[in-house]
Amino acid sequence: MIDLLGLVPAILRVSTPLILAGLGVHVSSRAGVLNIGIEGMMLAGALAGVVISALTQNAWLGLVAALLAGAVLAALLSVAIHLLRADLVLSGIALNMAALAGTTLALFALTGDKGISSSLPSLTLPMVRLPLIDDIPILGPLLSGHNVLTYAGLLAVPLVAILVNRTPLGLAMRAVGENPEAAAATGVPVLRVQVTALLISGLFAGAAGAFLSMGYVSWFSQNMTAGRGFIALAADVMGFGYAWGTMAAALLLGTTEAITLSLQGFGVPSELLQAIPYLVPVLAMVIHARRRKRREAH
Amino acid sequence: MIRFEHVSKTYPNGTVALSDVGFSVAAGTIHAICGENGAGKSTLMKILSGLELPSAGSISINGEPVRPDSPRAAAALGIGMVHQHFSLIGSLTVTENILLGQEPRRGPFVDRAKARARVLDLAARYSLDVDPDAKLATLSVAAQQKVEILKALSRDTRILILDEPTAVLSPPETEELFRRLVALRESGLTILFISHKLKEVRALAQQVTTLRAGRVSGDAPMSAISDDEIARLVMGEAGTSAIVRPEPQSAEARITVRGLTLRARDANDRLDAIDLAIRPGEILGIAGVDGSGQRGLVKVLTGACQPDAGMIAWDGKSVAGANTGALRRRGLAHLPADRFRDGGSRRLTLTENALAGAHRNYRFGPLLKPRAMIETTRGIIDRFAVRCPGPLAPLGALSGGNAQKIIAAREFGSNPRFLIVDQPTRGIDVAAANFIQDQIVALARSGCAVLLLSADLDELLRLSTRIVVLYAGRIVASLPNDPELTPARLGPFMLGLEVAA
Amino acid sequence: MIRNALAETALTLAIVFVVVALVLVPLAMTQADPVGVVTTFLFGPFKSIRHIGNIIELATPSMFCGLAVALILRAGMFNLGVEGAFFLGGLGTVAAALILPLPGPWLAPAALLAGAVIGSSVCVVPGVLRARYGASELVSSLMLNFAALFIGLYVLNVWLRDPAAGAMVSFKIPADARLPRLIEGTRIHIGVLLALAACGLGALYLFRTAGGFESRIAGANPSFAAHLGLDVARIGLRAQILGGLIAAFGGGIEMLGLYQRFSWQALPGNGWTGVTVAILARDHPALVIPAALFLGWLQVGGDLVARNFDIPNEAVGLMQALLLVTVTAAALTRNPRLLRAFGARSPGAAR
Repeated sequence: MIDLLGLVPAILRVSTPLILAGLGVHVSSRAGVLNIGIEGMMLAGALAGVVISALTQNAWLGLVAALLAGAVLAALLSVAIHLLRADLVLSGIALNMAALAGTTLALFALTGDKGISSSLPSLTLPMVRLPLIDDIPILGPLLSGHNVLTYAGLLAVPLVAILVNRTPLGLAMRAVGENPEAAAATGVPVLRVQVTALLISGLFAGAAGAFLSMGYVSWFSQNMTAGRGFIALAADVMGFGYAWGTMAAALLLGTTEAITLSLQGFGVPSELLQAIPYLVPVLAMVIHARRRKRREAH
Repeated sequence: MIRFEHVSKTYPNGTVALSDVGFSVAAGTIHAICGENGAGKSTLMKILSGLELPSAGSISINGEPVRPDSPRAAAALGIGMVHQHFSLIGSLTVTENILLGQEPRRGPFVDRAKARARVLDLAARYSLDVDPDAKLATLSVAAQQKVEILKALSRDTRILILDEPTAVLSPPETEELFRRLVALRESGLTILFISHKLKEVRALAQQVTTLRAGRVSGDAPMSAISDDEIARLVMGEAGTSAIVRPEPQSAEARITVRGLTLRARDANDRLDAIDLAIRPGEILGIAGVDGSGQRGLVKVLTGACQPDAGMIAWDGKSVAGANTGALRRRGLAHLPADRFRDGGSRRLTLTENALAGAHRNYRFGPLLKPRAMIETTRGIIDRFAVRCPGPLAPLGALSGGNAQKIIAAREFGSNPRFLIVDQPTRGIDVAAANFIQDQIVALARSGCAVLLLSADLDELLRLSTRIVVLYAGRIVASLPNDPELTPARLGPFMLGLEVAA
Repeated sequence: MIRNALAETALTLAIVFVVVALVLVPLAMTQADPVGVVTTFLFGPFKSIRHIGNIIELATPSMFCGLAVALILRAGMFNLGVEGAFFLGGLGTVAAALILPLPGPWLAPAALLAGAVIGSSVCVVPGVLRARYGASELVSSLMLNFAALFIGLYVLNVWLRDPAAGAMVSFKIPADARLPRLIEGTRIHIGVLLALAACGLGALYLFRTAGGFESRIAGANPSFAAHLGLDVARIGLRAQILGGLIAAFGGGIEMLGLYQRFSWQALPGNGWTGVTVAILARDHPALVIPAALFLGWLQVGGDLVARNFDIPNEAVGLMQALLLVTVTAAALTRNPRLLRAFGARSPGAAR
């Protein structure tokens, strides 16, 4: 019925922003900061990439700008929660509101259009042909020729796993995330660790945003993230604290989205399929919470 | 050698935790610091380990004045601390916990092989065997304590502080720990050992310093001081206030407890086959050093948790499975030890705090009657002489004593049949304390069964009909409160030197 | 004590003023007539009955959502399902109005009731999962908002869609079910009276009934509530059910009051505005009314500026976001020095 093999490129395409953003949520969550503002950071990255690539006519500079935009918003979130001591969740919501409004204002200021940036001559990031794999029949076309950020996202998974598990910073992040008082009593600089984790989270969000606006399309549109940041949050929840788990969850959620897209126009209720990425994490949470409760009872 | 000179600590809220403390610790010895809960031991050790700064006075190590302002600075001075509540992270491995913040590196990575070797080396040097790869949360408490000790020793530590290290251990584990500590001393370490268990102090220490109410009350080599003397220095002399001792009004117990057992990780919660009977009209006092099972006893009796074994009966009928709400409907009242955590809310008004729980009696149809509630509270404020801006002020605006009066008024005013009062006068002024004590006695005289838990022996001896001593979750003595009963007589039971029951 | 409360209010108002100025002034400076921008924004909304009507019309859903969030936050719960409940409430109400074979006067109340029950599920499910399994109501409600959106769109597409209409919209809502207009020349409908009544009842519930009092105790200090023998889990669930019902009812009112057909294709954002309203009102149901009117005023001012100058009305979204952060920022609102500057007497107010 569905050509699953034919779906592979589509799955990778829709999963890429989820993997990138999911890793961003994962890194900050490890350090005990639930980054609800990931959606807004992605949006800012998406716009910054379009604008800078159009201005400089260099896609790579656009990507750098997208990463920086995500990090700047992450820094703002850190100012709100660490310096102003505002509520983490409310600040995250506020960041999403501000990013939606701010990107629209900026888009309007630059193009005179609130909806879409098509008047800007922005660029796309290149596709990469993998030298040897490209020649393999069947497998080659599936695995080769994807966007550079798709490969970056997949490559980032082991890197994040190593960062979290094998580096001093990762160790400090896990300690701070689990028990900040104990970490502080040991002399771990809690604030610095959390700020660093948030900034890394922002970089990932920026990359995810850049993929949306510079990956396959070359334009930015209002609210183009459309809730993908929340799916990324879900991917982190379902990953149970592992980078690989987050990737697996992002691929699973991406697969349902890809199937949804491929079924459009066939009279299948695609809206119900679209709901799945949001229902599955809730189920996963319940299973997790039940298990924890049963363990605590003993 | 460590030297404390004129060390004082006053908190911003005015509490004086230490005043003019001065003594020396000889290098290469185990030095015990004894004192009751609130005597200032923990504050003193927090100052030495860099968690707090003294308000006045100085500390010197080997003649050099030092002033550690963070755990890191203290570690650089060779001071390591084993906290009573471990500063460990459950999901990290033993190696990661021990070397957190000072990992050996290879390029940007943690050098796991070197880290593992360093932990094994540390463990071998101090003969504290641990599995370097085990996840901390899977270890027993005793094993976790070894990890905590190794962590404290991992930074060229010369001075090791242990805060109540045996509170979480079983007797064989305690013996094992003591052998290790003696070995550590022989390897040249100086150990500061905080405890209120005299037997342990006797077994380990060469020198003991006793603290009472923030001051040094004694300082002597162990060979030159008797247990009774230490007990007297720790507990102080009996107060001179008149003894009240209400008489039971019936031979039938209102509250019966049989074989009550609670298995818990924390010694403060652990209970082991407790038997109690409280008759109407009497005040049963519970004595014991902090962490002897008092918290567990209160939790079980108030329905906050269910016991693992044993039964509780009201008027001879079991109340198994009843939660707090059900017990309160039967006539339970409870003045909790932590008044702002459990006893009330700083953000709510005096009226709301004073009538929470009884509020359903102030209804007109579906609505509460705020005017009647405020009037009742005004009455309470007058009767209890609460100093406050008015019945609508937030509880947080009141001093500890006045807040305690509001909370006591709520609990005492519910016409209880069984009242649990836990540290009713801790940290409040004398007038308020006397007032609350009088109220407790009046309630007992009106036929209420009262359970009084207090770290203040004067209070216990003044109010109780009988006194039961808890030690390590067990009842070690049950004594009628007659004139022969003194702090000196209670001390040995509380410190686990004697068992009478 | 009253003095300290006044100081807190004055400080909050000052923060609000600074935030509005901080967004408005730089944007105005980009225009040829900055003074015109500022005066249009601030005073334009009061220049005609129609604009005042717009303020009230925008404030109506904000009152319902703000009240719902306030009741949930007061009980110590952090359930953000209000956004989804509002959406699904609107859809459920329209569906019921289209399906229920009821005579005229009964149709609107029945449809609103059905919509409230259906929509509240977005808040209730996270509430149940929290009460029963201890799963975070925050994360599950964030997820369910979107699940509600897509399930709602499915229902719209499959059962309610009018094939005669070009876009994906429902059949026309029966005229019988539509809420009557209150004032000619505006779109103010009877829903605003219901919103005002709901806020009043909400205040009455929270501060004058046993249930509301218990919910405030559990929210202020859960250990204290447990000490009193209150069932904290049940109280939290009750607040989330109540909040869900109110938000979903608000969605239904919005539909029957202003729309001819159900036409939302995305989450409308009223729930998030409700969060801002509740925070501005410091979770007080009665203060939700002025807070909602204030945000309505900002919105209309922003729309007027957008119409007359080259500044999109998203500027207001920026203000809302900044308000959400600054009004909850402990470093600002609990700052003893700032509070004293606004007349507080002792540091007792700042804890």
